[in-house]
Amino acid sequence: MADKKKRRRPADPDSDSIPFKSRLKPDSVILQALKALAAAESTPSASTNPLTLADLSLSQACREVSDLPLSSVQSTIESLVLSLTHSILSGQGLSFSVPSRSSANQLYVPELDRIVLKDKSSLRPYANVSTVRKTTITARILQLIHQLCLKNIHVTKRDLFYTDVKLFQDQTQSDAVLDDVSCILGCTRSSLNVIAAEKGVVVGRLIFSDNGDLIDCTKMGMGGKAIPPNIDRVGDMQSDALFILLVEKDAAYIRLAEDRFYNRFPCIIITAKGQPDVATRLFLRKLKTELKVPVLALVDSDPYGLKILSVYGCGSKNMSYDSANLTTPDIKWLGIRPSDLDKYNIPEQCRLPMTEQDIKTGKDLLEEDFVKKNPGWVEELNLMVKTKQKAEIQALSSFGFQYLSEVYLPLKLQQEDWL
Amino acid sequence: MEIGESSESPEGKKKSKSKTPRKPKDSVLKQKSPAEFFADNKNIAGFDNPGKCLYTTVRELVENALDSAESISKLPIVEITIEEIVRSKFNSMIGLAEHERVDEELYDDFESAKAREKRLAKEARIQEIQAKNANLGKKVKEPVASKAMKGRGETSYYRVTCKDNGKGMPHDDIPNMFGRVLSGTKYGLKQTRGKFGLGAKMALIWSKMSTGLPIEITSSMKGQNYTSFCRLDIDIHRNIPHIHVHEKQDKKERWHGAEIQIVIEGNWTTYRSKILHYMRQMAVITPYAEFLFRFLSDAPDKNVTVKFARRTDIMPPVPLETKYHPSAVDLLLIKRLIAETSKQNLLQFLQHEFVNISKSHAERLIGEMGPDFSHKMLVKSLTSQQIVRIHQLFRQAKFDDPSGDCLSPAGEYNLRLGIIKELHPDMVATYSGSAQVFEGHPFLVEAGVSVGGKDVKQGVNIFRFANRIPLLFEQGADVVTRTALKRINWNSYKINQAQDKIGVFVSIVSTKIPFKGTGKEYIGDDISEIAAAVKTSIQQCCTQLKSKILKRIQAREQQERKRNLSKYIPNVTGAIYDVLKEMSHLHASKRKRYTNEDAEVLNKVSNHIITRETLGEKLAQHVEQVDYEMALEYATQSGVNEEPRENIYIQTLEGESKFVDFQSPVFVFRLFQ
Repeated sequence: MADKKKRRRPADPDSDSIPFKSRLKPDSVILQALKALAAAESTPSASTNPLTLADLSLSQACREVSDLPLSSVQSTIESLVLSLTHSILSGQGLSFSVPSRSSANQLYVPELDRIVLKDKSSLRPYANVSTVRKTTITARILQLIHQLCLKNIHVTKRDLFYTDVKLFQDQTQSDAVLDDVSCILGCTRSSLNVIAAEKGVVVGRLIFSDNGDLIDCTKMGMGGKAIPPNIDRVGDMQSDALFILLVEKDAAYIRLAEDRFYNRFPCIIITAKGQPDVATRLFLRKLKTELKVPVLALVDSDPYGLKILSVYGCGSKNMSYDSANLTTPDIKWLGIRPSDLDKYNIPEQCRLPMTEQDIKTGKDLLEEDFVKKNPGWVEELNLMVKTKQKAEIQALSSFGFQYLSEVYLPLKLQQEDWL
Repeated sequence: MEIGESSESPEGKKKSKSKTPRKPKDSVLKQKSPAEFFADNKNIAGFDNPGKCLYTTVRELVENALDSAESISKLPIVEITIEEIVRSKFNSMIGLAEHERVDEELYDDFESAKAREKRLAKEARIQEIQAKNANLGKKVKEPVASKAMKGRGETSYYRVTCKDNGKGMPHDDIPNMFGRVLSGTKYGLKQTRGKFGLGAKMALIWSKMSTGLPIEITSSMKGQNYTSFCRLDIDIHRNIPHIHVHEKQDKKERWHGAEIQIVIEGNWTTYRSKILHYMRQMAVITPYAEFLFRFLSDAPDKNVTVKFARRTDIMPPVPLETKYHPSAVDLLLIKRLIAETSKQNLLQFLQHEFVNISKSHAERLIGEMGPDFSHKMLVKSLTSQQIVRIHQLFRQAKFDDPSGDCLSPAGEYNLRLGIIKELHPDMVATYSGSAQVFEGHPFLVEAGVSVGGKDVKQGVNIFRFANRIPLLFEQGADVVTRTALKRINWNSYKINQAQDKIGVFVSIVSTKIPFKGTGKEYIGDDISEIAAAVKTSIQQCCTQLKSKILKRIQAREQQERKRNLSKYIPNVTGAIYDVLKEMSHLHASKRKRYTNEDAEVLNKVSNHIITRETLGEKLAQHVEQVDYEMALEYATQSGVNEEPRENIYIQTLEGESKFVDFQSPVFVFRLFQ
């Protein structure tokens, strides 16, 4: 995207031609509004303690995992292995009791605004043709994690897969069992010392320490700082940002980073380049809880944009056992919303017709609890399904590459137009 | 067999067809006879090129033979012989002297000096590569024999003879049946193989175009004490037969049926597989017929003799002629019915000339037509406007669907037999749907799905039949192909679409098959009624197969279970032992405390009392026990239900045979000598 770099036009006379530019008030007015928002965010959260699963007396027993120190992970594995050994020696074979992660075993808890696992679990015996492979892989992964505990190092999922390619066959198998192992041991995946490759990036008014090094995110160039995969080594967060801007796409992120949007309106810009990985979600949660600033999301106006928003907000189905640590509550949908298409006169050629699959996804989303609890979102989604049109963030480029950073976002912020 | 019918004059059809493709260059108005039209547009009837002509000729003759035998409910025996006649033999046959080529360059297959140079260079290069490969010890492919010049040179002449045991033809009708295009017995509304009265005549036109030799027909009917012999060709310009010989001969043997012999230009090499496929698929759909196919030529190694034996005595019923369904008629047809009807008044006409109109229904219909109509009005006195009104009402009114009684499907039993007989599949399932309706014509879909078998390619093999004729060409756009490849989720039936040898057989019968295109080669995918019926039929078969396949998978799992379970023992015990070992180190170095029972285990590990092997042995014992229990369970479950038995057909023996019986209390073993 760097090649799209355009010379900034000096306050050009034909600025009226850019739609809605004239409606922009001076930045100071907009900043006033943002400060009010940030202040509102920081006060109430200080008073109310975040709810936990234990605080709620739910009719069903639910399962959650927690961050465990390495030593307790190790001792949990050891006691599990000992019980397996006893079972084998007594001639009973071996079997694991694996909490089910299927969607039937998931529950959306409105009080917490996230998905948690119910307590159903299945037996994974060795002496059964359908589970023998998985049982073996589970045992092998446990052994590998035990090694990591002893040596106190981090490896990536890919590393883990390559230690026994012959057994794992492909990485999806070892990845799936890794999540199972987290559930069995009752700890988060990051406490297993297994990390995913870096995917997310952050730029803006933020200073933090990564493994002891102090990082200033305003001085990271255009690409920003890669979000470190092991969140436990991140600390000392300092910032004067008024909000966090969550961006779905790399392209929009680069536009904002290059235009130094965060200097005009003090903010932190984060993207995971599509579906968010665990590290980015952990980082966002940490930012939000430590800095107590509002999170505004800029995603595509299509069902997948909303889906990504939901993963940040209330967790993915796949990782629902760990939703407590991964989700960031109260994310505000700034744009691009279906109602913006007409509000900002986005030209017809930039809108795309929704495919049947899109419409189906949209309708499915309308049934989801996390959408239903926000009437504004339901309205927007209904509009999208009705008009059968979608648009990407890049659609705004039809008014000029910098329309996003110079007109659209400031105007949105000025109008406090978020849901 | 097709008999000339005076009432069905060809003029009506001829006009509409011969007009369209013609664009007169000059103002002189020309008339064309139907025979001329089809001679000019022979691709319409499937006579595109010499190879296809040979195929279509065989096909038309075989289908006529089957129709003829079935019309008298006789189990068909069809003998078809193709005899190759090389050019020199053909020339001597027609009395043409053999000519040596004088001016070589005049011919298409002349090899110029430049071309020869090129060819020699290429051959040398190939030899070089082969020599290199041979030196490297690679497998040497047989050098491909450079094919003889392709093109016109390869077509040759063939004498096609088809003999059946059918009805035969009345002596006096024979000339018209072969020498007049668009005359036939199959014009009524019923399920027939042929339809237009074209087949045998087109073969004759083609023979006249390519060889100029006449067709020879020998026929005898039941109860006739003579054999009719006729040699004729066709006067294309006047669309009338041109008779060479037409005589009654003494009957030498007790035989009824017809034997037709025709000499045409053709191409056996390119259409050999198509013709054999056709015969094979015909044998699948008509297992009650016996086919003897022979190909004879000068080179004995090229000769082919295939006998498709009869496997059942049960023949489908003869299709009944039915009346038109009101929603299937057009204006012209109503006019024709009015002209032909013997009924006097309108009420009777409606009641008797159409299906699904009862008397009370007809009265209501006439009431609806308006004040101009009455029950008693003479049907022949209807004006054109009134006929249009009747037609419009037929279009708008609701009628019951026609019943499928007039159809004659192959039958599930026959289809199944045919598949088993020709493919020898591992598994087969068949399904016969109920009659449905498309545009007033009833249709019925039968399907069979087989897995495995000999001479079946991997993947989906499709066999299509329409009115019990195999369809071989233009497979891609056909409704059956589209459905089987795109709309069936084979995986959900535990069938692997790419790996398994799947045979899909779909037979559609109808009083009017909605063919696409002129060649009657495929049924379009745009008729949702037929597409849905085909899909359900195939799915029904697949559901039947699924349970069989599941049983088989289960049986296989039984056999492989122990192996699969034992395979991972080293992996799993290795992983557990590694952790134990690390723990025993920690325990020994007192860095971590364990409680009594666990400590005991860890001590045994450090003292090598518990090793990788002990864990493995214990686990293997457990696997063995589980396997034994499961095998026992499987045996008790599957012991009860056995596969249903099927009757087999044993062919009756002809004539007296000498044999010796070996008697035993339970059976007789008969040895034929």
